[in-house]
Amino acid sequence: MSTAAVQKETKWWSGGRSPFNASYGKVMMWYFLMSDAFTFGAFLISYGTIRFSQNFWADPNHVFNSFPFAGHANLPLAFVSLMTFILIASSVTMVLAVHEGHNMNKKGVEKYMIMTIIGGIAFLSCQAWEWTHLLTGEHVALLSDGTLSVLPTTVKANPWGAELSHEAIAAALQATPHEQLASIASTLHHGGEAHHSVAAMSNAELIKFIQESDLKASNTGPIAFGGYFFGITGFHGFHVFSGVVINIVMYLKTKMGHFDQRGHYEMIEKAGLYWHFVDLVWVFVFLCFYLI
Amino acid sequence: MSAQASSPEITFHPNHSGGTKKIWRTFWLLSVLTIIELAIGLVIYNMHKGEHPNATLVLAFKGLVCILTLAKAYYIVSIFMHLGDEIRNLIMTIVVPLCLFIWFIIAFLWDGNSWLNLRNRYQGVPAKTEQVAPAATEKGAKD
Amino acid sequence: MSTSAALHHEDLHSAHDAHHEHHHHETFISKYVFSQDHKMISKQFLITGIIWAIIGGLFSVLFRLQLGYPEATFPWLEDLLGHWAKGGKLNPEFYYALVTMHGTILVFFVLTAGLSGTFANFLIPLQIGARDMASPMLNMLSYWFFFLASIIMFSSLFVQTGPASGGWTIYPPLSALGDASSGSKIGMDLWLVSMAMFIVSSLLGGLNYISTILNLRTKGMSMTRMPLTVWALFFTAILGVLSFPVLLSGAILLLFDRNLGTSFFLSDIVIGGKILPNEGGSAILFQHLFWFLGHPEVYIILLPAMGMSSEILSVNSRKPIFGYMAMVGSMFAIAILAFLVWAHHMFVTGLNPFLGAFFVLLTLLIAVPSAIKVFNWLTTLWRGNIRFTPAMLFAIGFVSMFISGGLTGIFLGNSALDIHLHDTYFVIAHFHIVMGVASFFGMFAGVYHWFPKMYGRFLNNTMAYIHFWISIVGAYLIFWPMHYEGLAGMPRRYYDFSMWESFKQFGGLNEFISFVSMIVFAAQLLFVFNFFYSIFKGRKVTSTNPWGANTLEWTTPIRPGHGNWPGEIPEVHRGAYDYGKDGREFISQIEPVGENESHH
Repeated sequence: MSTAAVQKETKWWSGGRSPFNASYGKVMMWYFLMSDAFTFGAFLISYGTIRFSQNFWADPNHVFNSFPFAGHANLPLAFVSLMTFILIASSVTMVLAVHEGHNMNKKGVEKYMIMTIIGGIAFLSCQAWEWTHLLTGEHVALLSDGTLSVLPTTVKANPWGAELSHEAIAAALQATPHEQLASIASTLHHGGEAHHSVAAMSNAELIKFIQESDLKASNTGPIAFGGYFFGITGFHGFHVFSGVVINIVMYLKTKMGHFDQRGHYEMIEKAGLYWHFVDLVWVFVFLCFYLI
Repeated sequence: MSAQASSPEITFHPNHSGGTKKIWRTFWLLSVLTIIELAIGLVIYNMHKGEHPNATLVLAFKGLVCILTLAKAYYIVSIFMHLGDEIRNLIMTIVVPLCLFIWFIIAFLWDGNSWLNLRNRYQGVPAKTEQVAPAATEKGAKD
Repeated sequence: MSTSAALHHEDLHSAHDAHHEHHHHETFISKYVFSQDHKMISKQFLITGIIWAIIGGLFSVLFRLQLGYPEATFPWLEDLLGHWAKGGKLNPEFYYALVTMHGTILVFFVLTAGLSGTFANFLIPLQIGARDMASPMLNMLSYWFFFLASIIMFSSLFVQTGPASGGWTIYPPLSALGDASSGSKIGMDLWLVSMAMFIVSSLLGGLNYISTILNLRTKGMSMTRMPLTVWALFFTAILGVLSFPVLLSGAILLLFDRNLGTSFFLSDIVIGGKILPNEGGSAILFQHLFWFLGHPEVYIILLPAMGMSSEILSVNSRKPIFGYMAMVGSMFAIAILAFLVWAHHMFVTGLNPFLGAFFVLLTLLIAVPSAIKVFNWLTTLWRGNIRFTPAMLFAIGFVSMFISGGLTGIFLGNSALDIHLHDTYFVIAHFHIVMGVASFFGMFAGVYHWFPKMYGRFLNNTMAYIHFWISIVGAYLIFWPMHYEGLAGMPRRYYDFSMWESFKQFGGLNEFISFVSMIVFAAQLLFVFNFFYSIFKGRKVTSTNPWGANTLEWTTPIRPGHGNWPGEIPEVHRGAYDYGKDGREFISQIEPVGENESHH
């Protein structure tokens, strides 16, 4: 009997069988993911609501423009593209593992699970680098007291407001005390000139030095930005982390032959659902934080 | 019906014998969609560099990115998560409840925008946002 | 075909059967504590719920004491509460804590976990013909997460600065700033952590209920043959699974605001002339997130009561439920609408009036399915052969409460009227009647009806009748006058009304309400006594089907073991409501359809 015929003739809802032709475990996994989609949905929609309520929001192309080992090169969105690619690739290896599971190929499942786990760890490492970069980042912003200062992006500070004009920067530099000027100057790379001397320079010299190096500075932006960014990418990262843990457990269970004994690799399928969901969420996080 | 022994809740075993071609095709499709999204992202970036970006055009590009993202989501769920291979009953019970998101998103963003208008109207537009302010006030005056 | 069906069932439940045969090996721990039997888990939920109900009820009596007798002092209060009631008078801070905990406990711990936790666990497998829940393990975890949440919430009552006191809706900034009040300190953190545990519990439970109902129905139990209780519990579980995660998001963000200095819900706050650094967040966003759960939550509480009352009304009228499909359809409509109307709790937050108009429209739409349900209940009773068992009385009481409370909902759903009525005693009266008392009545109806199945004994009828009449008369005496107070503008959550000239006139009325509330509370203690007394000393059940009901739970032995049916699970041949058909009083669902049977 062909599958299509069975599907048509079966009275799916009459009891004694699953109306979805799926085990309860898989049904539960799907509904859990739906539930989790509402958790993420609530986070992202909250973020959108706050963004809609603000006159100004940080431009992702300014915030996310660095790449490891690339110094101060302006590479908007490059690093996050790499992260996205890693996650898509690990999704592919996961679906291949599920595929091998359908064919009862233990070695194949093991191979692809390992690759998926590596992908997950690589993604987490990228995220760790990005967080560190933002948290220790060196962007110059105009504080409410009218002085310029080096500010990192944290949940309590957001240096990514509207960009300042040259005149505004010049005015603010006059009001900025010595230590702040020195710390601004030390973040600048200025034609190979030594930075260690900045502490010894006078205010006027510092201001000249800073202006010559074409300093870019902006207002502070709404502090909520950092909270939402770290909160949501952190919650996603937590999901990736738990996905990696689940995948490691699944790998070990495969290795020990649990699924061969059981006669099916449905657990791999369920872990796969979770892993793809993590990828799915990233697609939306990528959209909300990096693209628009 | 099938050599696989598993739960008797399952009436028949779906045919999984298809090759991996479909999976790889989806992978390339997702990659291409992502690259298009990035290209649009960079276009928006360059538009913002100009003095007065065309707001409608920026919005149109952003809308396009959203649609592309939904397309990506469709391929992930349908091919990678195999929802496309499940029977109609399961597909419907997954897809239909997600429609709740439509009103969820509309109402929340609508109210967010309304806070912006209220604040700009009654507290005045802060000076540091000169570029955005006129448009926002106009909008506030209209409704 | 029949052989394959039998094989099918054997396969499906062989694991449970094996367990069933060996259940005399169970130890005390595995049978009563970490039990995986859905019936035991349901009793655990019920008894925990009863304990919480006593605590929550006691709190309401304490703050009613303050409202009714604002000038009086009660020295015994100081003995009981120590520094929270210096000189025998409740401290205002503690008054707010009591109000907050009363709401939290009754809404979440009693009427969510205690109600759907109990009856979903007990009735779903029994009424659809399953050996147990889909995953007994997760089911057990669901209870123990609830237990953990209970312990954390209970411990918050004993911290130095007191439990959370920002109202059960915990709106920021009051709940987000530790310095805002003494209840905003550690008590608030414990509240949030407890609620996170509670959400995990409800999620584990809900996923189990949904997949059990979908996947494990016995042969012949099509969706449209399911009793309305199961339908109601099904919709309840869906509401919980889709709406609780949104509160989880809100709670996580609030915890971050409290402890990590983020600005999700905080902006432009000035305390003592000093501006807080937080900027960009919105306190109203939290209200949106809260009510996105909060409104479905109302139906999470109400739907199980609706389902059980439908079942009990039909059984005890000896008539089929009127309009079975209309009942299912209206519950479905209510479940959908529940997700679309949350902002009607927020008309006075500065909500865009145009947006508000949509919420008004959607809210008023709920009246349609609600009215369908009410008329169907009344038509079920119409010319029925009614037996006034205690369960039946409470089910009728439920319908009465649902009507009187539901009508005031139409007032409150209008944004224009809500501006006057918002946060007054009118609101208190509305939701206590429609959600609090009505659901309690549904729950009592359920306990009186299924107690014989749970414990193999009957509850004492005399005590039950006293309990019912005091409860229904008392509930109306307490909440009816509150409508007048609310219309006159008396705001909720005020500690002392005697300070305002315009509210002084209600002094006598408040005293009366407080007096009645104590009597009603005493009547509930009578129920608790009856409950525990009857577990051990109640009249024994002698027949498997004492109420003459059609549903599957009455085809099991009087006290079913783990696995529910000793032999094979019976096959189902008809819907659950064949009462009074072809001159027969009732026809069980397992009876095959006769050749000459009429179709109606």
